[in-house]
Amino acid sequence: MIEKKQQIFNKLGLHARAAAKLSHLANMFSADIYLIYNEDKVNAKSLLGILTLAASVGNEIMLQAAGADEQEAIRAIGDLFDRKFDEEI
Amino acid sequence: MIRSVIITHGNLGRELVQVAEKILEQKLDIEIIAFDWQGDGSAMISQLEAFIARNQGSEIVIFTDMFGGSPSNISTRFVGPGIEVLSGINLPGLLKFFCCGEHNGSFRQVIKKVEQEARDGINIISEYLGDKK
Repeated sequence: MIEKKQQIFNKLGLHARAAAKLSHLANMFSADIYLIYNEDKVNAKSLLGILTLAASVGNEIMLQAAGADEQEAIRAIGDLFDRKFDEEI
Repeated sequence: MIRSVIITHGNLGRELVQVAEKILEQKLDIEIIAFDWQGDGSAMISQLEAFIARNQGSEIVIFTDMFGGSPSNISTRFVGPGIEVLSGINLPGLLKFFCCGEHNGSFRQVIKKVEQEARDGINIISEYLGDKK
């Protein structure tokens, strides 16, 4: 199991479209993937689960993955956050 | 593959689908049928029969807007092996159905997951926040 702290850079935070992209990406991996924010832990493969975090720009979440492709999963998801979910230039 | 159709009063279904398409950034493969307020439902029945005929051999889910409403009542007559009606569909349920490989599992399991997500998407926000304090 690996973890990575990840800052949220996109202005709208983990809103619906960003959550859709994130859950879509997470579902490409076999590893169990979770997002931890404040005291909440949600399945990154669940669009609605992500939305319940109501995580906004500037905040930091913890990415957690466990499974055969956990490294690739964390790298790809971290990259999506870093790219601001491709929402902003 | 599960084929889907949404039947609602007026254009509610079209709007729901369009919003879901915007969020998921993809065109959704779903038939949209609007219940004609002025009609007796016969046009809706014909459209639904044609949809089912075109998709024979596939499992079919019929999403309707409200249990007990005409779209739901009319759809109910088509319930049978491989055909389910899920009434009271909302945006969370629709997103669950179309997002992220949610079609893993049996037809029944998929429909149950969509139903649960739709239910979970309804919250009194103050109570939700209260639980988290």
